[in-house]
Parts: sequence; C-alpha cells; structure tokens
Amino acid sequence: MKYSYNWLKELSGTKKMPEKVMEDLTFHSFEVEGLEKGEINIPGVIVGKILEIKKHPNADKLQLLKVDVGAGSALNIVCGAWNIKAGDKVPVALVDTNLSNGMKIKEAEIRGEKSFGMLCAEDELGLGKNHEGILILPESAKIGDPISKYFRSKDSVIEIKVLPDRSHDAMSYVGVAREIAVLERKKFDYDFDGLVLPKKKSKKLKIAVKSSKLCPRYIGAVMENIKIKESPDWMKKRLEASGIRAINNVVDATNYVMLELGNPLHAFDVDKLKVQSEKLKVTVQNSKLGIVVRKAKTGEKIKLLDGVVKELTSDDLLITDGDNPLAIAGIKGGKLAEIDGNTKNIVLESANFNAVSIRKTRTRLNLKTDSSDRFEKDIDPNLAEKAMARLIEIIEHTAGGKLTGVVDVYSKKVAPWKIKLDSSYVNSLLGEFILVKDMTRILNILGIKTKNGKIIECIVPTYRFDLKTQEDLIEEIGRIWGYEKVKEQPMISEILPAKINEQVFFERKVQDKLTGIGFDEVYNYSFYGEKDMVSCGFDNIKHLELENPMNSEQKYVRTSLIPNILKNIYENLKNFEDFRVFEEGRCYRPDGKKVEEKRMLAMAVAKNKDSKGEIFYDLKGAIEDMLEGFGVNSYEVRLRKNPEKICHPFRSAEIKIAGEKIGVLSEINPAVLSAYKIKSPVAVAEFDLEILKKHANKSKIYNPISKYPVVTRDISLLVSNDTTYAQIVDTIKKIGKNLVKNIKLFDVFEKDSQKSLAFRIEFEDKKKTFEKAEVERSIEKIVSTLEAELGVTVRK
Amino acid sequence: MEQKINDIKNQILKAISKVRDNGELFDLEKKFLGRKSEFVSILKNLKDLAPEERKKIGELANKTKGEILEIIKSKRQEVKNENLNFNKERIDVTIPGKKSGIGHLNPISIVRREIEDIFTSMGFEIADGPEVETEFYNFDSLNIPKSHPARDMQDTFFMKNSDLAMRSQTSAIQARYMQKNKPPFKIIAPGRCFRNEATDTTHEHTFHQFEALVVGDNINVGNLKHVAEVFFSQFFHQDIKIRLRPSYFPFVEPGFEYDISCTMCAGVGCSACKGNGWLELGGAGMVNQNVFVAAGYPRNKYTGFAWGIGLERLAMMKYKIDDVRLFHSGDLRFIRQF
Repeated sequence: MKYSYNWLKELSGTKKMPEKVMEDLTFHSFEVEGLEKGEINIPGVIVGKILEIKKHPNADKLQLLKVDVGAGSALNIVCGAWNIKAGDKVPVALVDTNLSNGMKIKEAEIRGEKSFGMLCAEDELGLGKNHEGILILPESAKIGDPISKYFRSKDSVIEIKVLPDRSHDAMSYVGVAREIAVLERKKFDYDFDGLVLPKKKSKKLKIAVKSSKLCPRYIGAVMENIKIKESPDWMKKRLEASGIRAINNVVDATNYVMLELGNPLHAFDVDKLKVQSEKLKVTVQNSKLGIVVRKAKTGEKIKLLDGVVKELTSDDLLITDGDNPLAIAGIKGGKLAEIDGNTKNIVLESANFNAVSIRKTRTRLNLKTDSSDRFEKDIDPNLAEKAMARLIEIIEHTAGGKLTGVVDVYSKKVAPWKIKLDSSYVNSLLGEFILVKDMTRILNILGIKTKNGKIIECIVPTYRFDLKTQEDLIEEIGRIWGYEKVKEQPMISEILPAKINEQVFFERKVQDKLTGIGFDEVYNYSFYGEKDMVSCGFDNIKHLELENPMNSEQKYVRTSLIPNILKNIYENLKNFEDFRVFEEGRCYRPDGKKVEEKRMLAMAVAKNKDSKGEIFYDLKGAIEDMLEGFGVNSYEVRLRKNPEKICHPFRSAEIKIAGEKIGVLSEINPAVLSAYKIKSPVAVAEFDLEILKKHANKSKIYNPISKYPVVTRDISLLVSNDTTYAQIVDTIKKIGKNLVKNIKLFDVFEKDSQKSLAFRIEFEDKKKTFEKAEVERSIEKIVSTLEAELGVTVRK
Repeated sequence: MEQKINDIKNQILKAISKVRDNGELFDLEKKFLGRKSEFVSILKNLKDLAPEERKKIGELANKTKGEILEIIKSKRQEVKNENLNFNKERIDVTIPGKKSGIGHLNPISIVRREIEDIFTSMGFEIADGPEVETEFYNFDSLNIPKSHPARDMQDTFFMKNSDLAMRSQTSAIQARYMQKNKPPFKIIAPGRCFRNEATDTTHEHTFHQFEALVVGDNINVGNLKHVAEVFFSQFFHQDIKIRLRPSYFPFVEPGFEYDISCTMCAGVGCSACKGNGWLELGGAGMVNQNVFVAAGYPRNKYTGFAWGIGLERLAMMKYKIDDVRLFHSGDLRFIRQF
C-alpha cells in the first residue's frame, strides 16, 4: 500500500526525513518496497525578483523583464506569462539548467530580443500539472537561493508491503503512524478514543442482520441534505498519493476514512432505495427505510458500480433494501443506490464482515477491491464505530449534510484480552537480556496495558487482532528492541554423527557413476500436456491433473521422465552430434484416494547418425557399467513381448535383479520419435531408484584369485535369428558347470535368416591345472548339447 | 692361469668399447667365448689341474664368464637403443586426447551437494518428503488454515478433485519429520517446490529450496543467526554476517527476512548489493508453537528455528547465471559448463 509521507507525518508527529522513516520501518516493522521522493531538486533554478516589465517591441504576447538573481547584473528575460508584476519573487531557470520536463534552458534570441533564462510555472518544476502562469514565491524568499529550499513540503510516497498478520491495523494511516511513533518511543497522539458514535438513534432506518456470524456488526447512519461536489484539494491529494481516484465528496470521504482507520465504508443514496416491498415491511416493521443484510439466493444477480453483473450463490452475503441487492457485502457496491450528482440523502455503512466468507466470495467472483483486501484479513469490529464517527465528522465538513440518526447492530462485543507473558521466556527465545521494565515499556507504547511481575499480565487492545500468544508479544518486544542487538550464539548440544539419509546419498552415487561414463544431468519440469500423453501412449494411464496449470502443456503430473527427456533430445540434437543424458526425478500416479510416488532414474542415448544400429547396446553397456559399479554382477535382460506404445516393439527389454524388475530399457518407437520431431533413433531406460538401491547396496565379499592357469577355447556358431545369445550362454554355463569361468562374445554378423556368433570360453579349475583332455571333453559336450537343444551348427 | 683369465676379461672390455653394431658384437662374443676361444680351452683344461688349483681357477673362470656375458648383454641393449630411429616416431602432443567422455551435473545438484555436505559435517540429517503433498502438510500443519489469507502468499498448484497440491515450500517436510522423530534434532530439508507464477529471468514455477530446522529445549534467535553465519561463511568461503528484519510467515513466530553481507564487496557497497552492503536471501523464524502442536508435540515444551533459501538463487550467485529458466532447460550448452 502507498502512504503519503505528509499524512503519516501529521498523524505521527515525526520529524524524521522520509528515508529515515523508511529505514526504521524496515528494521523494526514492515518491508518497505519503495520511496518516491517528493523534494524538488533542480540545480540551476533559483529565486529571482522582477525589477521591471516592458512590452516586447516585436511581439504583442511577450514581455521583456529585468530580473535580479542576486549575482552580477540583472538578467534580461523574455516571458510570455501575464500573471506577474514588478517586485514579484519568482523561480528563475538559469542558462544551462535541465528542467524535470526535459527542457534545457539556453541563451536565446526571441523576435530580436535576447533572453538569458526562463521563469517557471508549477509543471516545469515537476510540482504539479499546472501551467497557468508563473509560480509566485513568498515575499520572504531570498534572492539567489536554490528554489528547492522553498519546496521541501512536496509530498513523498512510501510503499509498504503489509503482510496478512498486520493488515487489520497497518493497512491504515493510523496503524503505520502509530508504528512510527512507537519507534521513536513516543505516545501516539491521535484522538482514537475520542471517536465515539453519536448517540442519536435513527427513527427512519431499520437494520436487520440475518447472519451475525457473517456480519458481526453493522452500523448505519442517515444524513440528509448533503451537497455532492468535488472534495477539497487536500483530500484529493491525499487520496491520489495513496493510489485512490477522487470521485465526489461523499465517496471520497468513505475512502479517506478507510485509508485513515482501515475500516472500509460505503454510502447509499436513500432516495433510490425501494421500500415498498411486502417482504421488507415484514422484516423491518413498516419502517420507511431498511437495510437487510442477508445471504444471496442462488442465481441472484447484482449490477455493480462499474456496470458488471455478477451472479451469486447462497454463500455470498448481500446488503439489500429488503428486496434488491445494494452491494456485495464488504466487497463492492451496486449500481442501484449509487451516489451521483443529484444525491441528497444518504445512508452510510460502517460494518464488519466475516473474513473467510469475504475471501471465498471475492475469490469465486474474482473481485479484489480495497474493501475486500481489508475485510478478508479480519478487522476489529470495534473499529467500525470509530470509522463511522470519523466519517460523519468529515461529511458534515465537506458535504454539509445533517445527521438524523444512527443504528448499530452489534451482538457479540469483542473486548480486550489477556495474555500472561513469562519474562524469562522472552529472553530465552530471543537469546537476549532485556529487563522487565524495558519489556513493559515497549508493550505500553504499543498500546498494551501491563501488570508487572516475572509473569507480565498483558491486556491487548482489540485493534491488535494478531497478538494472541506469548510468542506474538515476544516478537513485538524483539522487533522494537532491535534484532541487530541479538548476538550470534553457538548451540549447546550433544556431539553425534549425522544420521545418513541412505536414499539421498545413493542417488548422489548414481549421479557420480553416470557422469563418470559421460551422462549429462538434465532437470525437467514435473508436468507434461495432453499432447505428450497421447504421443507417448500414456492416455490409458491415470494421471494427477492440476486444477490451475500454467498452460495446457503443463497440465498433468508426470508418470514417467521420458516425455520431457524426448523434448531435451530434440533441442540438443540441434547443437550436438551424439550425447547421453540422465535425470533423477519423482513420478506420481493416483492410487485410489492416495497417491503413489516413485523416485525414478531415466537414462537416454541419442545420436544424429546410428549407422551401425548400436544405440540400444550403447545404452545397455552404460547400464551394465553402472550396475557393475554398484557391485551388481548378476542381472537378467529379457525381451519384452508387446511392450507399451512408447517402446520399439522388438527393441525393448526388462532388467531384473534376483527376479525383481528394476527397470526397462528400450529404443523409442519411431512413431513416437516423429511426434517429437526426432529423426534419429533414441534409446532410453527408466529405473525405480528405491528398488535399484535395494539391490545395489549388497556388501562385497572377496573371491580368491585362482593360482592355476585359465584355458581358452574359441567356438563359432551358426544359429537361426530366433535363437538368442542368452539361450546359448545359459546352455554353455549349464553344461560347463563351474569349470566355465567366463564367456565372451567376440564376433557377430547376420546373414539371411541366420547369424554367426563367435565365443571365447574361458575354463578354470580352482583346485588344479587342467588336463587337456578334460577341456576337450567339456567342449565336446557343450557343442553336442547346443546342436541338439538349439539346432546350432558349429563352424569348424 | 689366473693372469690369463683376467687378461681375457680386460681384452674384452677394451674391444667392446669399440663395437658399433650387432655384427661386431656377435664376432666379439664368438672370438672370446666361442667354442674355439682361448677361454673355452682354459675351461676344458681345468681337469688337468691339481684339485685345489682346479677349484680356485674354476670359480674364477665361471665368475668371469658371467661378468662377460652380462657386459655383452648390456652392450647389446646399448647397440639396439642407439640404432632406434626416434626421429621417425615424433608425434604432435598438442592434438586432443582420446576422451572417454565425462558427464556433467546440473548446477543445482552441485550446489545441493555442497549444502548437504556442510550440514552433514555439522551433524544435520537430510530429511525428505513428497513433492505432491496433502493440504494438511503443505498448509494446515504449518499454521495456514483453509481460507487463511496467508494461503495467497504462495500461488500454489492444486490438484483437480482432491486435497493434493504441488508442494509450495520445503517447510511441508517439517511436520512429516516431527511426527516420526522426537527433539532434539537438527535437519535440513532440500527439495523441489512449485508455484503458479509466470516465468521470466528471475521467476520459475519449478524451483528448489532447502531449509534448516533445529528443535530442542532452548533454541533461540541467536542460535539461528549463528548457524546461518557458519553455513554461509563456509559456502561462500568468506566471513558472512547475518541481518534479520521482521516479517511474517505463519509457521514461525517471531518471523524474519534475513540478509547476508554482500559476497562481492564484503558489505562495503557495490552494484551487486545496490550499494547497501547486504543481499536479501530468504525467510526465517522461530518455529510457531502451533506447528509443534500440529505435529503432535506439547505446546511450549520445545523451541526451534527454521530458515531457508532457494538453491537457484545460490547457484545464480555462485556461477553468475542471469536466467533462472536455464536450470530446467535441459540445454547441454548450459549444463556442460559445470
């Protein structure tokens, strides 16, 4: 909220410059977002005295002046203004001065007469918008003085970010001025207690409040014979400085008092109210004038001041004349009883509304107003009375009306409350040493009454709704005392090793292993869109959907890391030939009323050209490296039949450790790739990091190195394309038993429907050196079994 | 006889120094140690000597033979080395090496690890929680009841048809941890957070925070300042001062915004800190007793502090990154710089 410095100054009595006020508030009270400085500071504009005025010989609309500026001889100046006379003191912009409107003063010749400067109007000094005539300075102004000396009074604007805890008091000038006074340890000098509601009851006005929960207090006041006109200048300036547009004296007065005291107010034109309704007669007992505060009917409509029509529900609170809606309570007024130029008689409203209800209605109707901003943060209902008293006072002054009476509906009075504050807790929480008398002094200037003792009994004024607990009071003491005084103190605690979060540190190890083998780490958003869902074939998977997404591309919570990685690949292929990326991230799926969270790892390999068609094996090798790095030597990789749409139908495998699936490795289906405009093959793998961790964290046991030599034999096989490497290796292991130490595939080529595989088999006996015959017997048995069981041809 | 053997050795030593190639070396070996050589005839005639003499000369002859063979062997290596044409084997050492290729961590991961390591070294545990949160943990447990205006302080992503939301602050982890652990404890909670904000060079809807949370019997504002100072001094490798300003977050009371002394000018004033010597970094405060109650602790039994910061902010300061959107861009031109 924007605050006029002059207004704050008048209320608080501060003598501090705006910068100092801003600084003090920053360190003790609120965040100050900005300061628009009001002083004029235009070097080169000084006070001059007009010595003589002559007609310009060549121009009827110009005059020739001689002006004394205190130094050297008097200046000749050509001037077009006529509101000046000899002897006037005026602002003179000397040659070479830059004015705030961008004009630069130069020596000039105007219609044959030389001119050495310019006299300034208000707008040329940046003081206002007025351009009618030269600004005339007071007699007392000293010739030759900089002009800024005489215009220090121009207002500054301080912008303060008032957070929700203090909105109820500090979104008002009185609240902030009280704070400024407190910071100077001064008693706040504003006759707050003197604002008392006039006693005179209104005979004409009846008020019926149908829900005291939604409207704890409603005060109405009737004023007659007011005269609508513009507000006085001083009021318009203050409204404008606070960011509120002036309208007319009645509306301006309601806004002015809202700014001053923080309670929003409203005025209705009495003569526009319809009081004939039968219903009304019942509710307000045949009174001539009635205000009924009630919930709206579902579908009921109201035309607002700006002409917009809103449809309401039964959750919304309305101010009505018994029948017709006059205003959405606490949010915005209606067109029906709008104050206009012909308004003569008015009903003023100063009320208190339920914060939650206001918030709900304004959120649903998307109507954020100065009024809803305040009411939705809970206002002290006692403030309504102060605001009404002040409003009547001002309207009498600016609109000349006469108060005929007041009605106040206030069933549950809010009274000051007590908090017992343990003074030792104040110091133990702050880590400070504040004397009890200093604590109570601070509390007292804040308006909190205290009874001294180790336990301080505090009575909190109702205008400080936020002060409910001991800690709230400790904060008040701490911030006024000054947090800069609190010394840094090491904690006293037992020395214990940090508990290690195993999962977090495992995921760090995964990062290390993968960066070690050339994978770059990407971070992606946790969302994707409908398009991704369809492109990747995820449309049959249940997704969590955001109520309020950034855009339709970020509508669903990801169930897989792959779609966004495909977007990374598309972008990066523009700059890189081939690369490897990985991401660790969470994926989510709805699971009944709960939600299933998985910590996932995705790895991907992309190449602009994959002429050998090896991309699947590139990624598979990387996965094997990673698993080996975690000490996992035994895992299964098996073809998946009919994999999901995103996978290549014949290039998709699942990876298992000890029978448990840890992840999936696939080439991406070319149809999916083309949806992402990727022209070359991509291989991806996705793992569940919690399952992976479970298998990776096995403790390692040393396997003694054999003392006996290893014997190797090569065999070359011709097999059908349907026979897999895994089948062959399993057979070799099955037959060779524990004598086969290692099997290496060292050559593969495919021809027609057959492929040729060459293996090197390493034999090892841990107990003795092999006999040649034993190896031959084993090889023979392996070969014959391969031939019999897998229909393999052994190439000799 | 003895004299003869020593003479032969000396002759060889003399002759070998003149040898230039393998052929000459072969001839020399043949001449002195060949079947028809004087040395071999000495060995052959050993049997004619008296037993005592035979033993003495035999030992000397064998020893000398070994010495000579050794000399010839080393000469052979010498000749071989001399004949190598090193000139032909010249290479350009400035040609790039054959890299196996190293990957790069996202800078957020790097900063996160640094933070985790500093706090782990101070005995803090790393706590964790889900990114899709219930309204209870994200709001209610943090003293932000439904329809409280403080819910507007963060633009939260809500889930359709449920009470779930994308976690809008890592403080959501607080109650989760407290429900399972008893004070005293020291934790940090790093993680991904989400806010429905339009993105630009300084705003992201997806970002990372961490917060430090300490709960015990007599934790005070001075402790908060101290831990923050120790951490930031370690993180920025220079002495850092902490400054508190009053602020409001529902889950703390008293609540603060905190500034650190400028890392560029050490508080003197420069363009990075807009001349005032301080950088605004994050929020902090003493844990609100309502948060303890929501987590199942008795009211006013414990006190604690919490303070947090955005990891993106730290990474941007550390690496002089000028656009927060780069972290989630997946652009390898960016990631490969770290």
